[in-house]
Parts: sequence; structure tokens; C-alpha cells
Amino acid sequence: MGAKAIEVRDLKKIYRERSSKPVLALDGLSLDVAQGELVGLLGPNGAGKSTLIKILSTLTEPTSGTALVNGFDVATQPFDTRKSIAVVLQTSSADLFLSVWDNFVSYGLFQGLTLAESRRKAAEAVEMFDLDEYVKTKCQDLSGGYKRRVQTAKAFLADTPVLFLDEASTGMDAVIRRRVVDLIRSQTRAGRTILLTTQVLSEAEELCDRVAIIDRGRLKALGDVPALKRMARDAYDVTLTFDEIPPEMLDFFARTEVVRCEQVGSALELSVRAGEAKILELIGEAARRWPLVHFEVTGASLEDVFVDILSRED
Amino acid sequence: MVQALSAVFFREYRIRTTNLVWLFFDLMLPLMYLLVFGLGFTRALGEEFVVNGRTVEYNEFFLGGVLAMASFGVAMNTTWSWFMDRDTGMFYETLTYPMTRQQHLLGKGLFNVLLGIVEGALVVGGAALFLGMEPLWARLPLLALAMTVGTAGWFFFFSTLALRIRRNDMFQTVINALYFVLLFASNMFYPLEPLPSWLRVTAVANPITWQVDIFRYATVDLAEGNLWWQSLFFLGFTIASFAGAAYVLRHQE
Repeated sequence: MGAKAIEVRDLKKIYRERSSKPVLALDGLSLDVAQGELVGLLGPNGAGKSTLIKILSTLTEPTSGTALVNGFDVATQPFDTRKSIAVVLQTSSADLFLSVWDNFVSYGLFQGLTLAESRRKAAEAVEMFDLDEYVKTKCQDLSGGYKRRVQTAKAFLADTPVLFLDEASTGMDAVIRRRVVDLIRSQTRAGRTILLTTQVLSEAEELCDRVAIIDRGRLKALGDVPALKRMARDAYDVTLTFDEIPPEMLDFFARTEVVRCEQVGSALELSVRAGEAKILELIGEAARRWPLVHFEVTGASLEDVFVDILSRED
Repeated sequence: MVQALSAVFFREYRIRTTNLVWLFFDLMLPLMYLLVFGLGFTRALGEEFVVNGRTVEYNEFFLGGVLAMASFGVAMNTTWSWFMDRDTGMFYETLTYPMTRQQHLLGKGLFNVLLGIVEGALVVGGAALFLGMEPLWARLPLLALAMTVGTAGWFFFFSTLALRIRRNDMFQTVINALYFVLLFASNMFYPLEPLPSWLRVTAVANPITWQVDIFRYATVDLAEGNLWWQSLFFLGFTIASFAGAAYVLRHQE
């Protein structure tokens, strides 16, 4: 790993509210992200992903442990940390009483740009995110998807070395999502470090250099996607196409090592937890009982890996 | 520091100037109070209104109160922006911007002061233009200083409450209660001398009374309390309120 842009060591966060029991959001999490690397944070709801982003963006202080962003300690050097980051938070945030244009210009000024630079960057953001039609529209009059677009576009206005995207593509249509994905790629190629959380596993699979899976505040797995897939023990995706699918066929697979079975037309998509030999035996058995037209066996998807890793006991 | 304050200023300025109804009420309401409420009482009381042994028109007496109302009111209205920022999600996003939380607070406070100054100028100008009053123009710098410190003080005071309370409905309840106590247990609408002792004691301890007295001295050379002590107390109130607001903002997560 090259120079580190993010270093997290044994990070713990406990939320204490007077009216409720303390909540352990992060439980000794450690994670390094190299400069120019794109790391995806995956985990179920409440896993601690947003808490980690909040700590790294200086919104909340860790209970214990350390976190460095661009070499600055987030707890003791919050101002220097903020100069190094741009953030898209999970919650929607746009100045509803300002126009799209003023949102961008205002953000540019906050990021230390001059008024002229802010206007130039605002014009780029408008073009990049296809917002020409809405430049003068107040954000309160935009749909939820457009508000999210404005919020995400702002983070690309600043040339900070580190970018945090907390479910940034949520609510965007497919065309803009594709554009954001392309933009993210170009930013990492230019050396920007990106830490993103997403619930769209295919997005993480497509984009990320490495993926960290966290659950209940702890790191469960970390690696590139092929390495994570190797961690999923004997997990395969199998597609079987028949002339027709009688109900007893579904009963048959329910009694085997199949953990997921979905019927799509005359095909069955199965996730199977078994070795290769066992899978071939299963396909052979099915072919003897019903006329099999086509079959396909592939390695597990990131979703299978995600479910497999989270289902393991500590 | 200058960059951060300019950015906060730009944002607040654009929010106000692109929402003119809001700006109009922010700036014009105290002047309308003077022109309607003040005029009504001036006519009702005639020349029978005596303060500190001096016979004055009610409007002359009320001018200092209206200026305090302007300072207090604009601060309260600007404080709502904390809740708006929470509703729009901007509150937390702005905390990730490259500025300290104290700079954020100071920027909002300074914009609030600017509004207070403009509002004060409109009130004094309106009093001269529409009511034929003759404020002491030579004391305008003192008036501007009192407006600056006073408006900042009230903004930081209300911000402490807004940031601490967090819930808009609860904040409104607290503000309504405070509004009643601060405005009516003071010398804003009537002189202290004829008041029952319990109300007079409460009014003397009320920062609104200190501010009104300074405004009254600066505009029509009329004051009931000791101006030096009142100025000192108000400065202390402003500094303590800034410290309180900065502390509460620092602990937002």
C-alpha cells in the first residue's frame, strides 16, 4: 500500500443519550485507505458505516482510538481535516431557500475558492450534472432526486484530496448514476481518495478497489472483490433452464444445499453452498428427472459473499 | 478566517435577499411598531408623559424601546436559521466545511448585526422623516455600537437555546415565555419609576432594560439607570452568550 490517506486505529464510538441506553456504534474498527484508492464500506443498517464517515468528517468525536485523514488527526486537528475533505452525507442536505446556482457558489466560497472560481466551478457542476434547466430554481422546488443531485454535485466542486460519499447515488436515475460512477472513476484516476458507503452492491463491485464489510461496528472482511469472493466458502450461483418448471422441482431443490431459489420464466436461479463435485451431482440429478435445456455455474456474487460473511458467527 | 466569514455572509445574504417577505418583516416590523403603536399612545397620552422629571412625547420615550425590539427581534429571527438548517440537512454539512465552529457562529452573528444596524437606521430615519423627531445625530456612533453589541448578544443568547433545545416546537414555547418576560418586565413600553417594586426589581435585572436605557440615552438623552454599569453588564452578557453558544455548538454531533 502506498502513502495512506486514511488511517483508522481501534476506533470505538459509544453514543450516550440521557433518555436511552448507550449504543456501541463502532467497536475497535481499524482500516487503512491508500492515497488515490477507492474503498467501499458495506454493511447492514446500523453497522456503523455512517458513524465512521461522521468521525472522519469531524462531525462527531470518537470515544477512543485514532483516525487520521490526509495525515491530520480528526479529533485534535479538525480544522486541517476539514480542509482535506468533501462530504456527501447520507441525509439530504441542500439549501432549500437558495437556487441551485447559489448553492454551488456558496459551497465554493466555503471551500476557499474566490467568487470567480466558485462561479466557474458552479458552471462546470451544472453542466456535469445536467442541471441547466434548474439553475435559477430554488432547491425547495426540486424533486428529491434532483436535490440529491445538487448535494452530490457540490462535493465534486472542491479539489480536496479526500472525498466521503455516504450513499450518494441514492435516489438518482440510472443516467445520472452512471455519470456519477464515471466521475468517481475519473477522480480516483486523478489521485483522489474516495471512501463510499452504498447499499447497491453491484455499484461497489463495479467501482471499488477494495471493499470493507462491517457489522455491529466491527470489520468483518476487507479486500478486493476477487479476494472477498474467495472468502465465501463453496458458494456458487447456478442457473438451470428447463422446458417447464413443475412445483415438485422447487420441492426437490428446497431439500438440497440450495440457499436461495428464484424462478425467472422457465429458469431457476440458485445460490448453492456446496463444493463443485456436489453441485455437478445436483445438476445431474435434476437433469435425470426433468429435461434440462441449459445450465450455467458461476462464482458467488458480492451479494452472496456479503450475506455469507454476515451470517457467520464471530 | 476572513474567507470563512465571507462565505457565511454570502450564504445568509443570498437567503435573505432571495426571500424578500422575510427580509421585509425583519427590517420593517419595528418601524411599523413605532409608527402605529407609538403614534397611538402619543396621541392618547398627549403631553402628560413624564420620565425622570422630564415631560416627553411617548414616541420619544418609545424610540429606544423600538430599537431594542429591533435588535432583539432580528436576533430571534436569525436564530430560527439553526432550525431551518437542521430541517434542510445543511446544519451538519456546514459543520464539515473548512472553518471552525466558532467562525461559523461568528459569521452568522455578524450578519445578524448588519441586519440590526440597517434596521436601526430605518427606525431612526423613519422617526425623523415620518414623526418629525429629532434624534441626537451626534450620538449615532454610540447608537451603532450599542446595536452591534446588543444584537450580537441576543443572537448568541438565543443560539445557545436553539442549539441546546434542538426541537423547534420546544424552542418556540421557551421563546414565547421569554418574549413575554423580557419585553414586559422591562422599561421598553413604560418607565420603571411607577412600577410596583417586584416588577421594578425584575426589570432592573433584565438585559433589555440595560439596552433600552443606552438606546434612549443615545437618541433622546434620557436614561433611568447607571449607563456605565448597564453597558458593562451588557458586554458581559454578550461575551457569556458567545461562550455559551460556542460551547453548545462545539458539542453538536
